[in-house]
Amino acid sequence: MTPGDSQPHLIGLLLGLFVVVAIASTVYWMLHPPTTVAERAARETERDIEDIVGSIIVVFSSDIHSEHMMALAARLAQKERAQLLAAYIIEVPLTLPVGAEMEVERRAALGVLATAEAIARQRNVEIETEVIPARQVSQGVLDLAKKRDAHLIVVGAYREGKYSGAPLGRAIEQIAANAACDVIIGVQGHKGKILAQKSPSMPKVNVEEVTY
Amino acid sequence: MADSAGTAQLTAAAPATPTLRRSVTPWGSFSWGYSDVGADIFVGLGLVLGAAAGASNVAFLFAGVVYVCVGLAYTELAAAYPVAGGGQYFVMRGLGDIFGFIAGWAVLLDFTIDITLFAWSCIDYLSKLLPILAFTIHPWTHFWTVLLLIVGLATLNFIGVRESSAFNEVVSGLDIASETAILFFGFVFAFRPELLIHTMHTSWPTPFNLMNGVSLAIISFVGLESISQAAQETQRPASVIPRTSISLILTILIFALSYSNLALGMQPAHALPLDAHGHEQQLWAFLGNEDNNGASVQVLASLVPYYGALAALYVPVLGAILLLISSNSGVFGSSRIAYAMSQARLLPSLFRSVHPKFRTPAVSIAIFCGFAILELIFAALPSISPGSKDVYARLFRGEDGITFLGDLYAFGAAASYSFVFLALISLRLNDPAVPRKFKMPFNIPFTYRGARVEFPLVAVVGFLGIFSILFFVMLTHVIGRIAGPSWIVLGIFGYLAYRRYKGYPMFRSRPHDWRNQQTKILQEAGELELMDEYLSNLKAVDEQRAKAGSA
Repeated sequence: MTPGDSQPHLIGLLLGLFVVVAIASTVYWMLHPPTTVAERAARETERDIEDIVGSIIVVFSSDIHSEHMMALAARLAQKERAQLLAAYIIEVPLTLPVGAEMEVERRAALGVLATAEAIARQRNVEIETEVIPARQVSQGVLDLAKKRDAHLIVVGAYREGKYSGAPLGRAIEQIAANAACDVIIGVQGHKGKILAQKSPSMPKVNVEEVTY
Repeated sequence: MADSAGTAQLTAAAPATPTLRRSVTPWGSFSWGYSDVGADIFVGLGLVLGAAAGASNVAFLFAGVVYVCVGLAYTELAAAYPVAGGGQYFVMRGLGDIFGFIAGWAVLLDFTIDITLFAWSCIDYLSKLLPILAFTIHPWTHFWTVLLLIVGLATLNFIGVRESSAFNEVVSGLDIASETAILFFGFVFAFRPELLIHTMHTSWPTPFNLMNGVSLAIISFVGLESISQAAQETQRPASVIPRTSISLILTILIFALSYSNLALGMQPAHALPLDAHGHEQQLWAFLGNEDNNGASVQVLASLVPYYGALAALYVPVLGAILLLISSNSGVFGSSRIAYAMSQARLLPSLFRSVHPKFRTPAVSIAIFCGFAILELIFAALPSISPGSKDVYARLFRGEDGITFLGDLYAFGAAASYSFVFLALISLRLNDPAVPRKFKMPFNIPFTYRGARVEFPLVAVVGFLGIFSILFFVMLTHVIGRIAGPSWIVLGIFGYLAYRRYKGYPMFRSRPHDWRNQQTKILQEAGELELMDEYLSNLKAVDEQRAKAGSA
């Protein structure tokens, strides 16, 4: 045998393979330690959340300001690749037919939905927008959720100053009570920032100033 | 589940001050240990080949078996008591303050040696790319470079700069991949089983040299306690540490046994240079001579067919980086241990004083780096001063610098590990309520003071093994026989003087509330299920002992 004679020997080959397999499997085993109860619970919750956020509807109306919730929903949708729909519900009074033209409200709705689109674009999330006339906001949302087979409804709400039987507003309470899917309600605290109306950075459309 | 007494303990154990953040992941914990132990083979291989010759693989096997026992003991203890301090804490808890001090003091010796030995070897590896740094050709340049490296590391730690843990993790990953590749190519293209048998047959050492080799082989396995020292910062330590420790044990064992067998049975890709007498030399002798024993892995890698050309380029750099990290771990490891010992009132408060500006344990760093420099001077003296070479030859059988450092390293490790085994046995008997998510195998169950306990047979085997290595160190190394015990004896005198001055018990332990401390440890570790189990076990053990007492 001379230096440079480098024909593989069967035992050498087996030993070489043993080293590679033993080191690789040791490292793999090390990186997968047993989980704790808390970690298992966290993982199950994560799985549940993935199911929840398949299709998200963010609700707006003249009384429901959900821009900040929209931003949160966009982040969620971006991470979970969920479908996002921003819906503005125009409440049509009983004195008018459902199909009545309500230009001022419609213009306000377009302004709000444009903001919602811009928020989604910032996150590179695809978004659909829809303006829906309905007799009641809650019914409009519930019908839409059923039609779209939504997994999650997101709404922003003010806390009423005093107890009135529906501290978050009747529309939101009805949505929460009757929705088939999960509902996230962003309730603004006394010094909170969750709603757009009180936030100086969020452009608002003043319905009175809209001209045609 | 926690009873009312347990709840009271739990409340009492609620942390009042911010604690170390648990941010070390499984890979982080592994690489923390690997950057310490993984570097050992870079130093140990050449030394063992030089001493144990054709039985180097046997020397590594013996030391490896002992190391597995040590590793299992540390794994059990670190998972059960996940606190900073490592071996010193286990021994203090199991055997009392004075033995805790001796174990910690022996570990401190190891850390100071760690600083010098790995800085020395780091330069040896770099010298394969920059021959001007070669120890045998330019001893003064080598000495000054190592000295500057130690001073530089001390300064960096003094001002609070540490290598990023991410860097540590990347280097560990690269090194594991690199060593696996070297061994794979070496075994596949250059290993000859008949050559291995021939070398073992013709170059079998004398019993004295074999014992010498075994005592040096243990240094390839020192540093596992780094994982337990980081236990306080590791995520879910009771679950993660057993995995990382066992993985580290297996990885290092595979590397050490593979390298030693490869070195004895490898057909090098190129012809080796003739020895000083003009004779052909075998690979193991070439790797173990004074020119190459500090950088033997690099030399071996460069002789592997096909892969060697690439390995020759990067192994010196990768090896040097890993050795530098290991040397740095000696600097901050010594200050960490000294801090923990000072907190336990085993060392004066000086060792836990923090620099007002840099917020680092500046005094500890200065003192232990000072010791490291003294060790460097002692190790380098025969080379840089021809006069002292004769003195060393007469008094210390002419051991070279790196062997002297290796001796002391082996002494410190063997001494502290011996105490750790005794502490493990004591804790099994006296602290059975602590949940042990990992237990050493082969235990004998019996009733001790009214409670069911398990006697660990592997700890006895490990103790006998490590004690025999301690005996080999004392028998075969003249310097180790003198310097090692001197370090311990001087330390004990200092400890007794400090305890007397402070009015603490000199030979007995200070009172410790281990139960509350353990509850707090598990709570802070996030091991809430184990905490519940501990409180429940405590209640059961108390009842068993009360029943046994009344009977």
